[in-house]
Amino acid sequence: MPNVDVLVVGAGPAGSVAAGEACRSAPALDVVLLERDRAVGAPVRCAEGVGDAGLREFADPVGAPWVARKITRVIFLAPDDTEVKVAERDVGWILDRTRFDAHLAAQASAAGAELLVGTEASGMVRDPDGRWAVSVRGPGGSTTYRARVVIGADGVETMVGRWAGLDTRVPARDMESCAQYVVQGIKFDPDAIYLQFGEDIAPGGYAWIFPKSEGVANVGLGVVALKSDGRNAKQYLDSWIARRYPRGARTGYTIGGVIVHTTIKQTYADGVLVAGDAAHMINPLSGGGIVNAMKAGRLAGRTAAAAIGEGDTSARRLAQYHEAWMKLLGDDHLKYYRIKQALEHLDDAFFNGLARTVNAIPEGKRTLGRIFAQALVRHPQMIPVAARFFV
Amino acid sequence: MLAPPRAAEVAVVQLDVCDRCGLCLPLCPPEAIHLELADLVVDPTTCTGCRKCIAPCPVGALSMVPN
Repeated sequence: MPNVDVLVVGAGPAGSVAAGEACRSAPALDVVLLERDRAVGAPVRCAEGVGDAGLREFADPVGAPWVARKITRVIFLAPDDTEVKVAERDVGWILDRTRFDAHLAAQASAAGAELLVGTEASGMVRDPDGRWAVSVRGPGGSTTYRARVVIGADGVETMVGRWAGLDTRVPARDMESCAQYVVQGIKFDPDAIYLQFGEDIAPGGYAWIFPKSEGVANVGLGVVALKSDGRNAKQYLDSWIARRYPRGARTGYTIGGVIVHTTIKQTYADGVLVAGDAAHMINPLSGGGIVNAMKAGRLAGRTAAAAIGEGDTSARRLAQYHEAWMKLLGDDHLKYYRIKQALEHLDDAFFNGLARTVNAIPEGKRTLGRIFAQALVRHPQMIPVAARFFV
Repeated sequence: MLAPPRAAEVAVVQLDVCDRCGLCLPLCPPEAIHLELADLVVDPTTCTGCRKCIAPCPVGALSMVPN
């Protein structure tokens, strides 16, 4: 029964950054990072897009082997296929998540964390001395780690939060059901991401094309099942691809859930912190979560290290993590959530009309800000923070 | 203490269709879906038959069966 200071469950962006940050904050700590899958970063359950500024806080993308493509344009497609090109500088990057996640995990390892792949946490109980006894199954058999702080970075299924008694449930209206293919041999602008809205295309969500290289892209969509006509996400995607790219080779597929909710009410318990998708720290408007997860992981790692140093890992001490997160991004997500709710009332005719209005603006001047200014003329309820929409 | 009445119909995961994405897990109000050696499994004694997990599955791996 090994004793450790910090046990991190899940080696995605939240967990790896948390583990690395805990080590860097207090190098004497014993930090263990568990990954259930046999390889960090696989299978990919992600469209792999990330904003430029957020990414650079954690890693330099220029020339990095974990980058697939730089993105300098956003192309919105109205439901009737009208294209609206928006030129922005340094929009973002399409990652190779398999390599990116491995890069972050390797950084945690270099900082001193012990990384164990193919190793799954299967339950945890609190010992009388305040440590969490976490049951772990791995290639070497089963064992129990006794940890001062457990960081749950275990994604959408968030078992650590549940074991700690936190409410991590999601209302059905705030779950995007997603499906995605890697499609090869198709034509598109390889410097742009494409986003298409439409009640028959992706009700409650949007469809996307995220370039991996010339002719190869992640092509996917997310739908809210409550708004669906009875088809599941994969069936919506099959229809969309059949229409847009009937000759493309679908060389891979993935599915998954994106929680477009706000941060869970409580992200901490005695000796427990929850970060990333597990704590619903996703931008509820864009569905983006990678940078959020890394920022939360950084806060969680620092908070855990400081709390252990002070000899106080109580819920009351760890609540500082929640406060810091809400100030950093959680409160913004509450605003984005309200915009999402406003957008739910807009129909295809609105988006088609908006696309034509915006296309009257010269392309060089067509920024997201100006698009939203046009949208706001028609729908003033969308005013707050409208320009920081998609990245 | 008497056990609560079991639902007439409960959800079941078809493991040959399921991709183990975990999307259904936080959707379950009584937290009746859990992971068992990486497989998603519905506990028929706590499932209330509310069907909230059925439509959101991206590949349709959940369905209702008599309990």
